[in-house]
Amino acid sequence: MLVAEGLVKRYGARRALDGFDLTIEPGEIAGLVGHNGAGKTTFVEVVTGLVRPDSGRVSVGGIDVRRDPRGARQRLGVAPQELALYVSATVRDNLRLFAALAGLRRAAAHRAVARVAEELQLTDVLDQRAGLLSGGQQRRTQAAGALVGDAPLLLLDEPTAGADPQTRAALLAAVRERAAAGAAVLYTTHYLPELADLGATLAVARSGRVIARGTQDDLVRGLPGELRLRLGGTEPPALPAGIAGRSRVIDGELRVASTDPPADLAMLLAAGCSLVAVDVRSPSLDDLYHALAPEVSRAA
Amino acid sequence: MLPEIVRPPALPRVIVVPRPDAWRAALARTGAIIRHNTILMLREPGPLASRLILPLAFLAILHPLYEAAQGRSAGVGQAVIATLVTFSLLALSLVGGSILTERIFHTWERLRASAARPAEVLVGKAVPVMAALLAQQVLIVGFGVVVLGLTVASLPLLALAMVTWTLALLALGVALGVLARSFSELSAAYDIGGMILSSLGGALVPLAAMPGWVRHVAPVSPGYWVAAALRAALRGDSAGTLSASAALLGFALAFGLVAALRARRGWGRLARM
Repeated sequence: MLVAEGLVKRYGARRALDGFDLTIEPGEIAGLVGHNGAGKTTFVEVVTGLVRPDSGRVSVGGIDVRRDPRGARQRLGVAPQELALYVSATVRDNLRLFAALAGLRRAAAHRAVARVAEELQLTDVLDQRAGLLSGGQQRRTQAAGALVGDAPLLLLDEPTAGADPQTRAALLAAVRERAAAGAAVLYTTHYLPELADLGATLAVARSGRVIARGTQDDLVRGLPGELRLRLGGTEPPALPAGIAGRSRVIDGELRVASTDPPADLAMLLAAGCSLVAVDVRSPSLDDLYHALAPEVSRAA
Repeated sequence: MLPEIVRPPALPRVIVVPRPDAWRAALARTGAIIRHNTILMLREPGPLASRLILPLAFLAILHPLYEAAQGRSAGVGQAVIATLVTFSLLALSLVGGSILTERIFHTWERLRASAARPAEVLVGKAVPVMAALLAQQVLIVGFGVVVLGLTVASLPLLALAMVTWTLALLALGVALGVLARSFSELSAAYDIGGMILSSLGGALVPLAAMPGWVRHVAPVSPGYWVAAALRAALRGDSAGTLSASAALLGFALAFGLVAALRARRGWGRLARM
């Protein structure tokens, strides 16, 4: 549904996109993650045709975005990162406009608005002005504008930024449902647990290109997890040489980066360590993100 | 040193003639944008009501002054023209506000990311404010005719003058809307600019009664040309109305060009890069 190959976009000396490749299949939710400035939003703007790439090509449903940007846009549902609502109009007016722009006529638009409002728990506020809603309700209205047209490709740029748990849960459920119905979804976020909830495939962007792409399991496999140990005794034990370089002590807890926890535990026991408590943590998306984008870890 | 970007070969230019169902879809989208912008204008009716009611009050109160200065017939004509030009320039707030609101609340980019063509968005936004601007002018002239006894020698010429003036106002308002960085800047532009343009053009006070230098610079103001077009239309002067209306269309094109050039650069984070 979405194919991007070798996209380059330069602003002066800075390359916002630098050989950006990404393919998303129908029914797939692809989580695009990366630090600020990695190129996520620029990529969304290139797909929507708002920004022209210097080179490379991108197509939506087989339609070249440069050649026929409007044809490509007809297949898109877009929720931009910045809140973009008509604050003096009601939620219904906002959604009806985006339904009409997506090609839905009166009765179909009416049904689509009612449906998406129910999905995103907006039914009670449909006739309230968007400017008077809470932040979470505004976020849901923004996302509803992208979902109302049942587009085959959804571009959701940090749709839950600053959202409350209710908003997040409602939105994730709606996204899952659209994907189950066959829509391809590009979902950019800094909240990695959301991508685990969505069962999304991952694309990690850094410096304007995708540096890792695959399923969460594929990408996390091979990363070290962590052993968290409470040791008995009053004196800290001498750790085996193979473990000392991978360990640190935080709040009296020994933490060992480990790709083979049973073998490391055996080494510790053989070295005479007395274990009081053991917690084995599998590698997470956070670990993957920090491994692939170390500058984020350093900044944190 | 960054390596040179290899640009792909230029795509062939293809003129796509929309199919009939594409026309219907385009009309439906344009209709939806017109409807939406009408709703936006009516949800905050204060500015519209003020621009429609205030000129009638102004005209009712001040027409005796003009009549005393210029005689009954000429005085009524001058009073109607002064009111129409001054208050239609102040009504630029409706046009500029309609554009600036889209920018401030980031909905402009969202419309651009939709299936609507730029022309559909422009027509959709223009129709409601054009209707408001024309309604204001029709109300003022109608008040002049019905209440003050204004005589109109040629209705078609008057309609031509009003429509071309509305187009110039529309283009000027859009230019202000894309250039202003805030509502206070926009407000200053139409308040101060509107009064200067209408005074400079001889709409409020006849140019004959103004200092000599004003008479020399008056033609740079669109207010001068609309006053000329309206005067010519009221006395049935086709040539005078046509030439002044042509000048107004020139202003419309110039302001429209400024607006289009600024709008091409876009706003938001990309424009700041």
